Amino acid sequence: MSGAGRRRASIRLMLPLALAGGAVLVVAAILLSQRTAESAPAQPIAFSHRTHAEAEIQCLFCHPNALRSDVAGMPSVERCAGCHRTIATTRRRIQTVLGYWERGEPIPWQPINKMADFVFFSHQPHLAAGVGCETCHGDVGKMNAARQVVNMDMGWCLNCHLKQPETAVARLTDCLACHK
Amino acid sequence: MAHRVSRRGFLKIAAGASVVAGLSPTVRRVALEPFVRPPEEELPGRATWYASTCRQCPAGCGVIVRVINGRARKIEGNPSHPLNRGKLCARGQAGLQVLYNPDRLQNAVRQTGGRGSRRFEPVQWAEATDQLASALKGVGGKARVGFLGGSVPTHLRLLVTRFLEALGSPGPVLFDLHSVLEGGAEAHALADRWFGSADKPIYDIGHAEVIFSFGANFLETWLSPVSQSYDYGTMRQGQSGGRGFLVQFEPRLSMTAASADQWIPVPPGTEGLVALGLGRIIVEENLGRVGSHREHAQLYRDVSVGAVAEASGLSVDRLQKLARAFADADRSVALPGGYLSGFTNASQSMDAVMALNVIMRRLGREGGVFLPHTIPAEAFINPDLPSPFRDFEKLIQKMRDGQVDVLMVHGANPVYELPRWAGFADALTNVPLVVSFSPFINETAAQADLILPDHTYLEGWGFEVCSPGGDRPVVSSQQPAVRPLYDTRSTADVLLKLASSLGGAVSQALPWPDEVAYLEEASAQLLGSSIGVFDARTPAGFWSRWRQLGGWWSTKPIRQEPVARGLPQGPLQVPAASFAGQPNLFPFTLLPYESIALSDGRGADQHWLQETPDPMTTACWNTWVELNPATAAQLGVTDDDIVRVVSTHNALEAPVVVFPGIRPDVVAIPTGQGHQDYGRFAAGRGSNVMDLIAPVVEREAAVLAWGGTRVRVEAVHRSTKLARLESLDGKGRETLR
Repeated sequence: MSGAGRRRASIRLMLPLALAGGAVLVVAAILLSQRTAESAPAQPIAFSHRTHAEAEIQCLFCHPNALRSDVAGMPSVERCAGCHRTIATTRRRIQTVLGYWERGEPIPWQPINKMADFVFFSHQPHLAAGVGCETCHGDVGKMNAARQVVNMDMGWCLNCHLKQPETAVARLTDCLACHK
Repeated sequence: MAHRVSRRGFLKIAAGASVVAGLSPTVRRVALEPFVRPPEEELPGRATWYASTCRQCPAGCGVIVRVINGRARKIEGNPSHPLNRGKLCARGQAGLQVLYNPDRLQNAVRQTGGRGSRRFEPVQWAEATDQLASALKGVGGKARVGFLGGSVPTHLRLLVTRFLEALGSPGPVLFDLHSVLEGGAEAHALADRWFGSADKPIYDIGHAEVIFSFGANFLETWLSPVSQSYDYGTMRQGQSGGRGFLVQFEPRLSMTAASADQWIPVPPGTEGLVALGLGRIIVEENLGRVGSHREHAQLYRDVSVGAVAEASGLSVDRLQKLARAFADADRSVALPGGYLSGFTNASQSMDAVMALNVIMRRLGREGGVFLPHTIPAEAFINPDLPSPFRDFEKLIQKMRDGQVDVLMVHGANPVYELPRWAGFADALTNVPLVVSFSPFINETAAQADLILPDHTYLEGWGFEVCSPGGDRPVVSSQQPAVRPLYDTRSTADVLLKLASSLGGAVSQALPWPDEVAYLEEASAQLLGSSIGVFDARTPAGFWSRWRQLGGWWSTKPIRQEPVARGLPQGPLQVPAASFAGQPNLFPFTLLPYESIALSDGRGADQHWLQETPDPMTTACWNTWVELNPATAAQLGVTDDDIVRVVSTHNALEAPVVVFPGIRPDVVAIPTGQGHQDYGRFAAGRGSNVMDLIAPVVEREAAVLAWGGTRVRVEAVHRSTKLARLESLDGKGRETLR
């Protein structure tokens, strides 16, 4: 077979593949864009942020590491049991929590807000700059089941970083600020 | 026509396919599992560093352990620690694999199918300790208890000693192969003979100008290798005037010998004789700038340089040159190494080496010989020395005679480390209850009735009085970097609990509620010391600094000047070493050398260490036999050919490494492999060189003369592929000869 013939053959093979790829791309784009509207994932316990917020418990009581660390972290089972060994112990959901505590098992919570692993995000500087939790997480205190309200992509990050004081913008829009 | 895809086409398709695959919406859901109980000071995503002590060998280097989310991730050297000064060896780095070892015991177990059946059933801690307590109470409270320890941390050794004393039993017997190979008991005996000291002498390698090392592989496993490697760097970089000069006397080119200026492979067992000859020349020719040698003439009265030259194969001229090099330097030091302890003339050889330091007046001088300064608190006075082999033989005899009702074993593995003729395994059968505290099922634990696993060192508390502690007194503290992974229990806590349940004198001798209370009390004794690197106003404050820094040491170097109590009576002599096996039947001397990675075998369960190539041969993952090229040619074998090494007592088979750095009449085999138990990475791998050792015991100090075995080597006409980092493709390049 001549060189031109080979090229034709490979083009014949590539064409449907490229079409299929393009179709997948479109579907994926649609799926990805809908991620913000995604309903809250099923949790092992139907935990209500609203109940806790109405009891005037601060976010940082259960997620204290947001102040000091990269990740806000999930409250330890010990933290849940600390209150619920005495509060509302007759409720079925609370008994489920206490069951985890007694068995010494971690509760397998499903993550709600996800950030790509090539982003080096840290909660600490954001809290230090006075960014409230609800800026990124929405008004979780009014939700029964927490869900993602913001599509945490780079455009959204920059949208906020660009609005910062002029002296900080250069630093905050540097690639290496988040992609190390 | 067959459809052929071009290279370019294939790449296009591959790229297209991977794009398609990459776009597929596979968003992985991973549950966020919080801690049930978060570790103290835990900050998710942030590393916490805990200062502690390495337990991979008895040196006691300081480590800092990086802990993230409650898991230990990395071990580094503690930069503040005066011993290793931030450095750490490969064994120290591999410590994580002790913690995370998949073959660790996860709870206390009882051997149900009889000893050696390896059928274990979990047992409740309370039940297990009750069984031990009732056995200790014994018939009429007169139980005869034996405690066999290996590299037991200092704090536990102190507790065990108190415990046994209160029980009215003899003190613990310590035996471990590493200590035997580095001549631990012999070094203590040497210090006792010359200086009346209970501590090992320390050698100021960093400030020496000329070092004559007689079988001391101080860059590998001898005493405190990380500290000594640091000092070696100082010595070489000429911080004390010029580049230091190192001469190594030993039959195999060890890594230390390879780092030396001169490697002198004298026949095994004649190292001491060479030292004697050098001393004779120095005294005879009145060499050096130390004044008259008249007072030392008596020491060398019976030495004939000609005879030394003949026995060592070194010419008189060479000996004279060496003697001048040693004597003309301002700061020279001679090291009596562990290899000397492997022969029947061990004590005389070591005396001959120490005599070189004495006649050159190197005691208490910079770059010379010192004694350690004691820790200024009663709690840290180290009461027991490494037991001479004689004590261990006595224990075996007592066991055999049925005079031991309960034997407790911690950190020792003599079933693996000693040849069968020592009779330990057989004597065990006469002991009604054998209890092991090993976190792993090793060969000795497999012969126990009960195993009460201790924590591994990254989970436990303790301290180590470093001996040698470099240039100053050092107590290295140990604290948990992580919470215990499994249902294991600290042996110190088990003893304290036993003591309180036994009551009476025992509970009075060990009044502490737990190990930490004991350690807090002990550390508080150093409060207010004027020489310490830190102090505090309260014991609690001191305890906190103690853990934060990783121990206590003096701010400045403090050492003691050894005072020779009087030179040995009469002239020095080094008799010829005796060997097991007729030279005509067993033409080679066997050199079992301590593996730099696996040590005496305790590292064999860590695959990072299995994978660590031997620095001289680059071989790993197996046992090998090092043969000189001439010997190999004579036997008709080459690299990877299997040979059978036969001693008067046993035989083993292993592949050959043709190694130019060894005397033609010596066969070297590294220690550490040939485990029957000890987890998946160790068991059934290689052969145990200690099985070959014939029963030769040095009579005076009763040390096992592990170097005194002769062997013969037979080709078995099979071969295998030995894992080696170095390529053997260059073989046959004659220019390299």
